[in-house]
Amino acid sequence: MTNLMDREAVSEPHNVLGMDGIEFIEFATSKPQALVGVLERMGFRPVARHRSREVELYRQGGMNIIVNAQAADVPRTVQPTERPVLSAFAVRVRDADAAFHRALELGAWEIPVRARAMELNIPAIHGVGESLIYFVDRHDEFSIYDIDFRAIPKVDPNPPALGGLHFFGLVQYIGSERTADWVEFYSQIFGFAPLPDSKRFGILPKGLLLESPCRTFYLQLIEPDDLARFAPAEEHLQRIGFGTPDVLSTVDVLQKRGVEFLTSEKVHVSERGALTTAALGSVMFELVHNEPGNAAAPR
Amino acid sequence: MIFDDFGMDTASLAGSLEGKLAAVRRAGFSQVMIAANDVVGHPSGAKAGVKAVRDSGLRVTGLEALRDFEGLDGRMHAYKVDVAKSMLEVCGELGGRLLLVEATTSTHAAADAERIARDLRMLAILAIPMGIRIAYKGMAWSRTTKNFAAAGDLVFRANCPNLGVAIDAFDVIAARISRDELDAIDPEQIYLVQLSDYMWQEIRSAEEEAATATHFRVFPGEGAHSDGLADFITKLDAIGYCGNYSFDVYNDDYLQMPPETVAQRAQRAAEWLGETVLRRALPIPNMERLRRTARA
Repeated sequence: MTNLMDREAVSEPHNVLGMDGIEFIEFATSKPQALVGVLERMGFRPVARHRSREVELYRQGGMNIIVNAQAADVPRTVQPTERPVLSAFAVRVRDADAAFHRALELGAWEIPVRARAMELNIPAIHGVGESLIYFVDRHDEFSIYDIDFRAIPKVDPNPPALGGLHFFGLVQYIGSERTADWVEFYSQIFGFAPLPDSKRFGILPKGLLLESPCRTFYLQLIEPDDLARFAPAEEHLQRIGFGTPDVLSTVDVLQKRGVEFLTSEKVHVSERGALTTAALGSVMFELVHNEPGNAAAPR
Repeated sequence: MIFDDFGMDTASLAGSLEGKLAAVRRAGFSQVMIAANDVVGHPSGAKAGVKAVRDSGLRVTGLEALRDFEGLDGRMHAYKVDVAKSMLEVCGELGGRLLLVEATTSTHAAADAERIARDLRMLAILAIPMGIRIAYKGMAWSRTTKNFAAAGDLVFRANCPNLGVAIDAFDVIAARISRDELDAIDPEQIYLVQLSDYMWQEIRSAEEEAATATHFRVFPGEGAHSDGLADFITKLDAIGYCGNYSFDVYNDDYLQMPPETVAQRAQRAAEWLGETVLRRALPIPNMERLRRTARA
């Protein structure tokens, strides 16, 4: 195929893949019941179960969270343990197959189909650490969950979001001097772009922020502190950030449901954001002031 | 006393992988470059090879070598990508952070620079999730990338943060490349320097160079070009290179000698380079990082 613009210096469109937010974020754990308690306190409701695997779908508003307790059978993927781990996220794109093949040509690692949580033909690549990144399309026409999931009877399949909560971003812990590598990875394969240091959201501004080409989702890359620089470079998805138009009132609602927030001198609830205490040893959520569906307002 | 940034290469030594690692360690080295066949060819399997390296307590300088990777089409390209992925996985299991890639010498490879850069870039992106850096090395008998200057140009063109060059001092000396060529290269882009010498003054043909490079190398200080080598690494030090030095000594005689004896020769080479040539005083752990931090 000929590129019609190859005779002129026309820069590539900003959003090459037609990315349009996050379809789901997945946790892996061998003790799903404990995690489910945490998710329900955060406002998520169970809406569907996988027909053949130990996989459940939780939802509130536009956010889907998959809880995966199925043992993994491929190297370099998360093996569910008691401590829940953020094991995957799915980006919505215009054409998942095209995005996937483009990613492979650029140097992404393909995940064999049998290892994918939902048996559907949802293409996936290796992400940071043992996590996966899925490509999902046609999310507005029908749901990827319709085929392999069985709806839980008598529950609202579309529970409303508490306090307008929506996916805002993921925090990724990376090794020392690894920021440039991961910026390259996400910008090449997905079209994420680094934001200047002056543009920050929430109450935890460390590291480097990458903005999705659809400008609705952020990845925050955080290198270890100086003291931890010589420790083995463990890299993983650390926490989910939720956007909410009113942090203080959302915190209030969540506290009444039993969610605890950090109140240290450095990190505490404010209008800009809040951070929950770690549940089950590893599960934290961050709240960030942001209007749903809009590009985030920098502070 | 051996400085932390000098290491040996398992391809210089005879015997079992365990025997090689023990000899390297006993000679006082803290790091070792791993030839892939030493690990995957372990008599008890690749897993046992990986375990032997991990149990040795030696730091892995890197894994060598991916060959004839770039410039191929269709099925050959796909095949080489599979080979590369397998080597990256082994490298990751070893705890290695560097894969040495030798410029293609295949007649099937395209010589188009844009194309080579694209393939190198893909390789580098494959290595990113595993935290591995790609060190691309010119080969005197490659059609496209004969030396570190050509490798540096391609790396610059490919422009990926975990892609750099490896420089083999043997090639520099054999081709009589001026040390001033090093001025054109960003020291941060040099990921590895390999050091060796050879016995004769002159190499008369490409065939002789290839034979010398693969069978008759000796350790620095043992050959006919000690002054040239000393000059070369003094220059590297001066431009701010602070990565590792690995002795890539491929010598048929050494493969008929006990690994301990060969490792002692490597030890003498490291002492000569560290104390006499670079005139260093005390070895400091994490030398590389400390020097980089000091420079910044």
